Amino acid sequence: MMLRIAVILALISMAGCATTTPVDVSGSKSQLESRQIQTRQYDTLDKALTMRSVIATLQDLGFTIDQADSELGTISATRYHQYTMRMTVTVVQRGEERVSVRANARIGEKAVTDAATYQDFFVVLDKAMFLTLQGVD
Amino acid sequence: MHRLAQKAFAPLLGTLALGGCATNQVPESALRLEESTLEVRSIQTRKMEAPSEIAILTATIAVLQDMEFNVDRIEKSLGVISASKVSDADDSGDNAKLIFLDLLCAAGGQPGSCNYSSQARDEQHIVLTMVVLPSLERSGEFSVRVTMQRAILDTMDRILVLERIEAPEVYQEVFDNLRQALFLEVSES
Repeated sequence: MMLRIAVILALISMAGCATTTPVDVSGSKSQLESRQIQTRQYDTLDKALTMRSVIATLQDLGFTIDQADSELGTISATRYHQYTMRMTVTVVQRGEERVSVRANARIGEKAVTDAATYQDFFVVLDKAMFLTLQGVD
Repeated sequence: MHRLAQKAFAPLLGTLALGGCATNQVPESALRLEESTLEVRSIQTRKMEAPSEIAILTATIAVLQDMEFNVDRIEKSLGVISASKVSDADDSGDNAKLIFLDLLCAAGGQPGSCNYSSQARDEQHIVLTMVVLPSLERSGEFSVRVTMQRAILDTMDRILVLERIEAPEVYQEVFDNLRQALFLEVSES
């Protein structure tokens, strides 16, 4: 009896999994929702120094930089540590005195969607921005 | 079905049922600084004097070539150089153990399922970032920070190890090479 129930449960759970792989292009959250949790605005440093702080932050967090483009303000990085984590951070000048920093991350094949993890990233970035502002490498 | 088999299969199927399409949770500390961050940063960073940004970047690229890395990308204005190499990760002691396991397994009467030696370390992919920037503290001085990671793969290209390289002596060697390259760069120009 127990075996029958277990078999039925297993079959139900497998049926729940899609038999064909959908094309995951749009991501799992709405555009606005993702932007909100992944973005912070700063008015302390210019774009170049903000990018410098972002690179220092990623290095502190154990990432190596795959590529960086100062003109577009994009930095892509990877971390090998038990699992593979990839991040892309963009720094965009907004008006004269503000820059916006947007970070997005994936662990393996999963996008990181929880706000707390991004909050952790920006806490580390805040410290790096402060050190850069103070002229400390 | 035999009662013993039923006992063995029921929990397995139950677990499968519960596991179904579960999603992986993001590790809680994924983007938090570790306590050792300051120590690691000091192992990875050196201040160096150089006549110009071009001189120190040229010396850095030369060092990467000396160490048999391929330079993948450079973003000069951010001082970022990304490089990588694939090299041998053979561990003869480890291989001997795995062959011994294969022999033990074959002696146990299931030679077809004995394939421990395919788990032998085969190659390591090392990725490296060097960030070379004018120091914020002193002019004429440059801050050089190196970070390295590696993935070790077995003979079937399965990942065995993913790790940050943290050994201070590895970083020290890079900086020693860089100082030497910088000296050569300056004396040759």
